[in-house]
Amino acid sequence: MRPERALLSVLGVLVLAVALWWLRAQGAGAPWLPGCSFHRLTGLHCPGCGMTRAMAAILRGDLAAAFRCNPVGLVLLPLALVGLLPEWLGWVRGRRLAFRWHPGARGAWLLVGLIIAFWILRNLPWWPFTLLAPPALGS
Amino acid sequence: MQWYYSKNGTQLGPVEQGELISKMASGEVAPGDLVWREGMVDWQPSAQVNELVALMPVSQAQPMGTPMAGSPYAPPTAGGAMPYSGEVIPNYLWQSIVVTILCCWPFGIPAIIYAAKVEGLKSRGDIAGARAASASAKTWCWVSFGLGLGIILIYVVMIGAGVMSSSSRSNF
Repeated sequence: MRPERALLSVLGVLVLAVALWWLRAQGAGAPWLPGCSFHRLTGLHCPGCGMTRAMAAILRGDLAAAFRCNPVGLVLLPLALVGLLPEWLGWVRGRRLAFRWHPGARGAWLLVGLIIAFWILRNLPWWPFTLLAPPALGS
Repeated sequence: MQWYYSKNGTQLGPVEQGELISKMASGEVAPGDLVWREGMVDWQPSAQVNELVALMPVSQAQPMGTPMAGSPYAPPTAGGAMPYSGEVIPNYLWQSIVVTILCCWPFGIPAIIYAAKVEGLKSRGDIAGARAASASAKTWCWVSFGLGLGIILIYVVMIGAGVMSSSSRSNF
């Protein structure tokens, strides 16, 4: 057990909780929310674009709207967090857990392919690929 | 001193130092089996922990670098990194995915690619390559995380300073 790592983890969770509470209070699409800098620089959508609004929609309980903002991110994020949990516990305790959840070499490459394909497809300007892009603000 | 050791992916212990050394001497804990005690950064193969090897009975403990055929503690003849099977090489796959989705910078993409490489290299026995890919994945994770966090912090500071005017309405 590493006390400083446990403390850091508790602080991180607290900051995250405050940020989520704030996001819920303010609602998605508020003009001052930190947007995607990749989108601002290039005008293209990155694989994570729409996640802020997806989070806000989840906090409202609107799963369909969240899915519309970033379908792949919404599925991958919970999976990745579950996968991170044992690694994080091992880090706090200063010693790796014997148990780890991992998709294996082939699974990892499948995830790579999925994310890169999603990145490319959501930038294509034709239906149905436009459904993968987050909706324009105000709509 | 209490030691933990790992056999076939199962964590065992704690055992006293003397008990662990006799297990190493009898071969119950192989040179490649990982051991750990409070204070060590990470698990290490038992043969690489000098404080244990130094205390082994003289007939068993061979100084590193003098291979002796037949000795269970003979260092590997192949040069370079020790190709033991049980080494833990973190792949940072989940971390890469989280930063790609949340930090919103394409720097998460090289992190994921390196993370995926780690497992393949490990299964082919290229431990040095897997270590290098693991280190690259870690670096890219931190680059992505740092830039994402930095931008959010800059925003918080700007809001705090009241710099944001209504005209700078962002699209995201």
